[in-house]
Formats: sequence, C-alpha cells, structure tokens
Amino acid sequence: MRKHLYLWVLFVLLCVAGAVGLQSKPPAIKIPFETYTLPNGLTVVLAPDAATPTVAVTAWYHVGSKDEMPGRTGFAHLFEHVMFTGAGHTPYGVHDRFTEGVGGSNNGTTSNDRTVYFETVPSNYFETALWLESDRMGFLLDSLDVGKLNAQRDIVKNERRQSMDNQPYGLAGEILSSTTYPPSHPYSWSVIGSMKDLSAASEEDVKNFFRLYYAPNNAVLSIAGDFEATQAKMWVRKYFGDIPRGKPIKRPSIRPVTLDKETRLVYEDRVQVPRLYIQWPTVGENNDDRFALYVLDAIMAGPRTARLTKALVYDTQAASSVGAFQDSSEDVGDWRITITPRPGHSLTELEAAADALLYKLKAEGPTQEEIQRATAGQEFDFVSGLQSNLGKSMTLADGAGIQNNPGYFQTEYQKMLGVTPADVKRVANKYLTKGRVVLSIVPIGQSDQAAKPSESKPYRRVEQ
Amino acid sequence: MSQPGRNLAIVAVLLLFTIAAPAQQSFDRSKTPPAGKPPVLHVPTWTKTSLANGAELIVSEKHDLPLVAFVITFQGGTYQTEAAARRGLAGITASMMNEGTKTRDGEALSNALQLLGTSINVNVGGEGGSMGFQSTTSKFPQALEILADMLVNPAFPAEALERLRAQRLVALTQAKDQPGSIASRVFPKILYGSAHPFGQNVTEESLKAITRDDIVAFHKVYFQPGRALVSVVGDVNSSSVKSTVEKALGAWPRGGEKPTFAYPGLPATHAPTVFLVDKPGAAQSTFAIGNPGPPRSTPDYYALQVMNTMLGGMFQSRLNANIREENGYSYGVNSSFAFGKGPGAFRTGGDIVSAKSDAALVEFMKELRGIGGSRPITDEELATAKDSLIQRLPGTFASVQSINSAIVTLWTQGLPDNYYQQYATRISDIRKEDVLRVAKQYIDLDHLTIVIVGDRASIEAPLKAAGVAPIVLTDIEGNAR
Repeated sequence: MRKHLYLWVLFVLLCVAGAVGLQSKPPAIKIPFETYTLPNGLTVVLAPDAATPTVAVTAWYHVGSKDEMPGRTGFAHLFEHVMFTGAGHTPYGVHDRFTEGVGGSNNGTTSNDRTVYFETVPSNYFETALWLESDRMGFLLDSLDVGKLNAQRDIVKNERRQSMDNQPYGLAGEILSSTTYPPSHPYSWSVIGSMKDLSAASEEDVKNFFRLYYAPNNAVLSIAGDFEATQAKMWVRKYFGDIPRGKPIKRPSIRPVTLDKETRLVYEDRVQVPRLYIQWPTVGENNDDRFALYVLDAIMAGPRTARLTKALVYDTQAASSVGAFQDSSEDVGDWRITITPRPGHSLTELEAAADALLYKLKAEGPTQEEIQRATAGQEFDFVSGLQSNLGKSMTLADGAGIQNNPGYFQTEYQKMLGVTPADVKRVANKYLTKGRVVLSIVPIGQSDQAAKPSESKPYRRVEQ
Repeated sequence: MSQPGRNLAIVAVLLLFTIAAPAQQSFDRSKTPPAGKPPVLHVPTWTKTSLANGAELIVSEKHDLPLVAFVITFQGGTYQTEAAARRGLAGITASMMNEGTKTRDGEALSNALQLLGTSINVNVGGEGGSMGFQSTTSKFPQALEILADMLVNPAFPAEALERLRAQRLVALTQAKDQPGSIASRVFPKILYGSAHPFGQNVTEESLKAITRDDIVAFHKVYFQPGRALVSVVGDVNSSSVKSTVEKALGAWPRGGEKPTFAYPGLPATHAPTVFLVDKPGAAQSTFAIGNPGPPRSTPDYYALQVMNTMLGGMFQSRLNANIREENGYSYGVNSSFAFGKGPGAFRTGGDIVSAKSDAALVEFMKELRGIGGSRPITDEELATAKDSLIQRLPGTFASVQSINSAIVTLWTQGLPDNYYQQYATRISDIRKEDVLRVAKQYIDLDHLTIVIVGDRASIEAPLKAAGVAPIVLTDIEGNAR
C-alpha cells in the first residue's frame, strides 16, 4: 500500500454484513453498469452516476504476492510503489499534481492476489486520470531507473517496520501464514515480504514482472461517477486502445491446504499483555462455503451477544477483547480467532473456554435468530457503500477480475442472505478441526504465559 | 503509410512519435489533456428550527438513496467537563449508555440494534460529543426510538462499570507498548503542562477513581438539549421528521447551556528541546514536533490551510517529498493544525527508521525553516495547494454522513451558513506573503517541542551530534527522568 494500510476493509464491509428487511421492501441491490473488452484484452466497466461531481478510476491487475518467486517475496508490493515513480510521458510528480493537487486523491494496494491502483478526481479531470493510468500501464519502463527502485525499496522497508516490526503483535499474521502453509506455498509468505528479499529485487525483475503482468489482458479498468458513457468509451479507446496485449499468463493451480494436526507456537514480543491466536485453514473466494464462514465469525465474535464475546468478555470477563474473522483470498482462506486476556486469566484457560464454545456450536449449530442478527446489517452496508464512487468502482473491478462478472456483488449478497443454520453447523464441523495453528504472543522472557506452555514450541524468527 | 518517403512530413511526425513512445501512437501523449469545466459547487440546503426542549434542529433532505444519518451533537467535551483526577469519565459514561436502559438490558439493546442493521455510537471528545446512527430509511423510526431510550433512561449498571474499567486498564497497558500512543501522550503533556486540560491524560489512577455516582452526575449535566444540535440528513421530509424527532425525544427534559471555552494560560515556553523517550530495540523512532497553535476562529485560518497544505498536508508536500520520497527515511510524514476552540497544536512528525533519526531531524528542521522563509514559495506550489483545497470541496458532499458533519461543523465552530459558498474565494485570496507570515507566526522555531520515542542506545549519540537541540530524557508520561 502506498499511503495507507490495507484498504481491503472496504471490500470486507461490502461482503460481510447483512439485513433481512422483512417488514419493508428492500431497496434494489444494484449498481447500473456496462462492461466490454477492448481488442487488446482490457476489460472495461463503466458505472455512470452523477450524484457527486467526482469520477473514480480503478486499474485492477490480476497479480499479487502469490505470483512471486521464493527469494523475491514482497516484490509485487514493491512494484506497486514503482508504479508511482512516473512513466514515459508523465514524469514523477505529475500523477499527484493531477489527482491530489486538483482536489482528488490516489493510492494503490497489493494483496496476495491483486494489485489495485485508484484515483478519485473532480469530474472535469476524468480524461486526465485516464491519461495518467494509461501511461503507466503502457509506458512505465520508458522512465524506469535503478535510483527510483532503490528509493522505493527503502520506503517499503519502512512500511514493513511501521506496520509490523515496530508494532506490538505486528508479526502475528506472518507467523500464522508461514505455519499454516508449507514453505513453498504461494500463500506462505507475507505481502510485504522479507527485508532480505526486498534488498535482492533488481531492475531486471521489475522489467520482467511488468511485461508479463501489467498488460491490458491482465487488467480491469473500472470507472464510476459523474461522466457520460459515450465520451468515456471514446477516451478509454484513445488512451488504452493501442497498448499492446501481453503474453498469455499461465496461472499455477493453487489448492487450499488442510492440516492433519495442531501446531503450537509461542513468540516473545515487546508487549506487556499476552495474546492468543488460533487459525484454521478454510476456503477462498472460489468456494461458497466462505459465506457460512463469514456468518460464523459474526455469530462468534463482535456484538455483545456473539457467543465468544458474550461468554469471555461479558459473562466470565476472562478476556478484555475477542475477535473472529474469515479471511478469503482468491484460492485459499483462513478462519481465525484472537483473544486478549484480562489480568489474572491465562491463555490456557481462554483457549479451553473458546474450544468449549466452538464444540457446542459444532454440536448444536446456531439458531435462526443468530443468523438473522449476523446478516441484518448487509442491506445498510450495501446501500451506504453506493455513496462512494471509489467503493463502487472497486467492487465492480473485483467482481470482473476474480469472478469474471462485475455484477458478482449481487450473487454475493444473495448468498450471504441465503446462509442457513445447517450451513453454519456444517462448515464449522468441516473446517474447525484439530488441524490448526495455535500461536501465543507473550512478553519477552515469559514463554510460560503461553497457552499450554509445555506443548508450545518457541517460534524462531528467520532473519528478515 | 506503408511507403516510406511518400510523404516526408508524415514520416517526420511518425519518427518523432517513435522516439517519444515505442507503442503505436495516434496522438501526443506527452501533452496533458485539458481539464473540463469545473463542476458547479452544490452545497446542500437545510432548514433550522428548534425542539420544544430547546435543542436546535437541522434537517437536510437527500433522496437518491434510502439512507438517513441522525446525530445529536453536544457543545463542550472532556476539556470542559472532566476533572483532572477523573480523566476517562466522559468516555466511560458514553460506553455505559450502551449498557442498558430502564426497560432494555445491554443484550436486548444490542440484539435490537443488530436486527435493525445499525449501531448507536456515543462519543465525547475534547471539545464536543455526539450520539447518533445511520440507517436505511425504513429502520429510522425504530433506531431513533432506541437512541432516545438510551439518552433519557440509561440504567448504568454497576457491574458494567467494573467491566469497562478493567477493559480500559488493559487497553492503557497496551497503549504503553505502542510508540505512536506514547508520543500522543507525551507531546501534549509537554506542550500544555499538567495544569492545562490539553496536557492531561487518562491514567490508571484516574480510571480507578471513577464511581457510578460520577457517571450518573456526568450524564445529567452533559447530555442536555441546551447544548445540543439535532441534525438529520437523508431520505426524510423536513416537516414531518420534526414531529417524529419531537415525539421520540419528548421525554428529554429542557436544561443545560452551551459552555464557555475558557482555558488556562500556556506554560512558559522553552528553547527548542528534544524530549527522548526510550523504547529499547525499536526499529523506528516516532517523531512529534510542534507547538500550541491558534483557535479555529483565527482570521488566519485560510492562510494556515494553504501553508500547511504546502508543508505537510499532501503527498507531495515539502516534508513528505523530502523525508519519504527523496530520502526514504520513513513510510510517510505529515503536518497539521488541530483547530478548535482552544490552542490546538501544530504538529508534524512520523515514524523514522532508527538509523536515520538524526538525519531526519535535520531535514524536519530544514523544512520548518524553509516554509518560514529560507526556501521561497514557488508559484506552482501555491497554485497546487489552492487547487487542491478548493477543488476538493464539491466532492465532499457525497454521503449523508459527510453532509451531516459538514453542516454540524458550521454550528460547532460558529461559522456562517454561506461558509462553503465563500470558501473558494477565501482560499484564492491568499498570497505568498500571507503564507510566509503565518508560517513565521505559528511555527515557533525558537520554542519547538521535539518528542522522539525510540531506541535510546542507538539514537541518542547521533541525535546529540546532530546538534539540533539539547536532549532531555523523559519517561512515557512525559516527566523528565
């Protein structure tokens, strides 16, 4: 991420939510759009809406950290930074001048699966935004030099320090991924990558990566806001039409993993309060079980009547906070709970309490009312999201890129509302098995504060 | 054009394009497309009346989507209402309002709101508070009825206080592990001193001192219509929503008044000083540099906005362009003025890689001197800052929530109804000499407070050698060690 940390929250908000509008007719869940493909393979999505005089342009590329080679982890995200250093006809600084400098904004984000660039501009700068995006899609390498790469390398290392190394509990995600997935699995390393690999990335790596992945046939251009569709089509053709198609991309088939036993780890960090993480591998965006897993996380944690929250934070008050989260990537997913204890309560005790609650849910399933509460915010979240041109352009781009259907949000919405108690019971039993990773993060020198300390192996950090 | 030489002029043009850009071209990509006509500024309109209990009421209609944003805003906040020994009282009271009413316990409230797809947020900040929600139009009356119940009939169960207190104590312990949180405690403490409310932090002692009686009393005094504005924005009808609100808030008794915002004087200034808080092993040093600033009512507000936009308000502002983009010392640095009723701080800083703490401090100082005159402002810089501020405005009225807060800001800061219509002119009028003047006046280079939270073992000697300012070692509460 260039300026702000993980914006995927926006998608999550649009995906995980829900309202059963029983008594009144729900508003239509729709974003009027049209979509077409240019001869060079670029997928275009247009969603005109004049409510606010801005236009959001999203350039979505189907490439992420899972496409990296071992030894070059963090490269996709480092590359994202390079995309802001100027291109053939738009020297460094021009991009900011015609976005933020005219009252708009710009940013980019990289995940395991996709790299997304976006800007919102006052509607009179719409053509300028297309000019900017097309120049870096077509002509980035014309102005590339190793100095620019080196500067961004230092910045990304600072991003890693700021978001992970210098944050209490900041390494939890990286430890969990590297333990859940075998070493060569494309989801085993973090998006930000290792310091060593970031140092190793070369100018040649940038060129090869760009030529393969930043071709129009691997991209979606999604535009939402105050523009006229006929004019937009002319401009899109003008600026993007002559960018040459790239070579076909062979995507490795990546399968979700299953763990046959529990792995227990303890990591000593500069924290004063320990914290427990339990993670199970589940499924990603290519598997509909994820909808019941989203509902499951809302049933288990969040509002005060969610099961873990009610029992641990309110009733026994052994925890100060709990969380549960289904994280879905394109090919794989994880379901994770996080528990922070109150003083006087051990992680061992909290793990046992959480397990008992999960056991009960797996045995009995949730009630219909729990499902209803968990999905009742969906309608509001969707309609509220329609107020943001950027949110709409990103939702449409993601549907087009991952599901080959910009309107996939409708399917997603229906599937969330269609989850039944039996679905939740089934996925809980299928995925929340003994094969899992249990990670205790404890104060330095206090590994005895881990959950079941004698069974937990110290996590040895590889030099990053 | 397959015959070379058939038309020399065309060949020459093609060659030019070929040099400029290898891909096939039918136009000159090096030319910036001209901008279209700027969008017309559509400021939402609203009606202003008051409720029978004296609260003011503002309604702004927006019907393109079935959404409503409802907020009650209260003038005054913790700075006006909390005693130093009870810091945290307002926040706990706000949370306690979600813990149940005379007829609904905490779980019943939570379940009802979940089924409506909304939540009611109660907050009390430094100079103002709010209670509100957003919902779809069809759920609005029910959500409003619950809000009124929470406002007027809170039960304040004693067991909930103990739970919330214990959770906050854990959060406070965790905050002390976080360099950013430490800097945000130490910086105001040094700037304003412990006799000024801006310099007082929530502590273990203050949290432990809060009683249920304090909460009952705070609620009674604070959440009163005499200091409140009720604002409703979205898919409602101005005339009928007034009676809906009046009916829902019928049991909210008249009382209260807007507070005065009188603050004690500021402590004596000191020569520029580095206050170093040790965070052993930290990979980065967190910087907070600044001084007390002017209130929002200053006539220099617009000049300060332009100045700060150039200095640290945008990605390509001087500070970020230097410290992040040119030098790679940080993932990002910025600057801001905390405008309000009191002397909110000018603050710049960010997270700096430990090994470059000294070099970054030198660059921060260079840029602060620069905006104060040693580096002339260019025409392009001034134009970009103004363009950015002015052209951002039309797009800000996008959501019911953003419209609501845009209108509420006028009320809390005492700004005229035509504030947004005048904004572009006010910003356009700012000249280079205005920018220079306010930079000199409000960034006090002779008395800067420089808080650095980082690994003392590796950064102290280089910081000393940099010779920017003497170093005082400070604990995580901002007291000299």
